[in-house]
Amino acid sequence: MSAPARDDRYVDHDAKKVVIVMTSGPSSPGRCATPFFMGALLASMDADVTIFFTMEGVRLVQNGVAENLTAMEGGKRIIDFMRDAKTAGVKFHACRPALPGYDIEPVNLIAEVDEVSSGGALADMILSSDKVLFF
Amino acid sequence: MRPCNNCEFRPDLYYDAEYQIWVRIEEGGLLSLGMTDISQTRAGRILHVRVRRPGSRRPKGKPVATVETGKWAGPVPNPFDCTIEAANEAVLAAPGRINRDPYGEWIARVRPEQGLAQAVAGLRTGPEAEAGFCARCRDDGIECRRMDA
Repeated sequence: MSAPARDDRYVDHDAKKVVIVMTSGPSSPGRCATPFFMGALLASMDADVTIFFTMEGVRLVQNGVAENLTAMEGGKRIIDFMRDAKTAGVKFHACRPALPGYDIEPVNLIAEVDEVSSGGALADMILSSDKVLFF
Repeated sequence: MRPCNNCEFRPDLYYDAEYQIWVRIEEGGLLSLGMTDISQTRAGRILHVRVRRPGSRRPKGKPVATVETGKWAGPVPNPFDCTIEAANEAVLAAPGRINRDPYGEWIARVRPEQGLAQAVAGLRTGPEAEAGFCARCRDDGIECRRMDA
């Protein structure tokens, strides 16, 4: 006997914990919008979502970068995708060990960042999350 | 041209503090929720709407539905503790109806857990709500427009 078809008109999930590891940055702008769209969508479906910026991803939380970056020419600014995610309840963590490699001081991060965290904090999140996505 | 930056306001409805959603009292102890003209304009052309499954308990602050456009995704917030009674099937099938008629198209119908009076007590309505609604449009530079599906 086959399982009944899922009715995708309705949202019917238990609350989940999701970590999105954001490694992409200004050198690949086409990869910088969808992670925030997905984060907003997951958060609005009751997921507890954290986006952890590491590697080149930390450039996106540096003041003045996402404000002047679009995934496509003439498109919506990346900072606005990020703010949509924040409004939906997504938390932003910036990777402390990644900052020096890009000459970024913690005081030069955008206000949307909730925490500057260690690599160990990311490891804890990965091990305690239901889903981990890498972009 | 509507007075508040071309955004329509309905004085008979109830609104959350940010004028994202409207709430209407229905018969049988139910409330309908929908998106305001401000929300549908800011969202853009709505491509998908999904409502929590009827029968689901939704605590205050937990979304009753999710909305997607091409470049935006977000919740339909819930200002009170309630249980989902129904989704508007017409909207699920053709979400762009919200862009055409945001106050004519409810999204979810819910039963508040603490009764109607308590559910709407924390919401805004009437002239006070209209002043706040227009201030939001003005302060955020929101110019409303309706879209065909």
